[in-house]
Amino acid sequence: MSAYELVDELPSGAARAAAWAAYALTTYADKLLAADGTSDVVAEAYARAAACLDAARGVGGVPDALPHWRTPVRTWEQLVGMRDALDALRTYLAYELKSAAPPELARVDAQLARVDQLWIERPPPEIRGALGSALAIGLDEAYSLGRRLMAASEISAQ
Amino acid sequence: MGLFRPARTVTGPHGDYWEVYVSKTALPAWRESKPGGFEYGVGDPRGDLLELPFMLLGALWGMLIAPLLRFLVLLPASFVRGRRSRAVRIEAVSGFPHREVFLWTTTDDGVDRVLDEIVNGLAAGKFVQPDGAVYSGRED
Repeated sequence: MSAYELVDELPSGAARAAAWAAYALTTYADKLLAADGTSDVVAEAYARAAACLDAARGVGGVPDALPHWRTPVRTWEQLVGMRDALDALRTYLAYELKSAAPPELARVDAQLARVDQLWIERPPPEIRGALGSALAIGLDEAYSLGRRLMAASEISAQ
Repeated sequence: MGLFRPARTVTGPHGDYWEVYVSKTALPAWRESKPGGFEYGVGDPRGDLLELPFMLLGALWGMLIAPLLRFLVLLPASFVRGRRSRAVRIEAVSGFPHREVFLWTTTDDGVDRVLDEIVNGLAAGKFVQPDGAVYSGRED
């Protein structure tokens, strides 16, 4: 079963939190791959997604964050992939929260608003750096929020 | 909007004077070549005298002619790149006690608001970071 299916199948708890991590990592890798082709970050995201699928079955742990780039300025294609991934994760979380603009997503939405303000064709390196930074923060926020939400029943039971 | 005329001028609370330029073009950097490897004080002094014109020509080439040629060759590409992009550069330039340039980059949608915020900030002695703009700090 793929990460896309598993996260919908499991009940809330640690296994679903791990399945969400696998879903987020796979989405990130797929969107980057579609927009920009293969890269170290894509390979790392797929590797971490595989580890998360194992964790969802009770083997091993879940990484704390999505893989990060080693340089500060992203290409336009990388930015497109990152934005597509963040939009997809946000949509999933909003659906999970049963609201179009839930307060839990405020920090993700703040980064998306910053991205919207600076999103232009052929941006210079200064703007690409800021866009990459905002998208990376937004992706990390979405990843963490998803893990908390999917583990919600376990947290409330403690 | 222009490279050679400030869009605004502003004086800070401590009397520091700023000219704020708004443009779509990032001018090519002025890069002087490294000085040549002349050796001094060795060999025949008459030989050193003969080398003097070449040293002067080398210095003139490295400090003026080569950087100017590089600048002029890259300038059209900079103009074209600027015209094709919706990015706008806002540079605050202070000439005293020494020249300093601070850079913000924004989009053409928000340039008026961002410019107002930057000018108000400089008037209050602050380098603000407006929404919808990227503050890059001091330019080298």
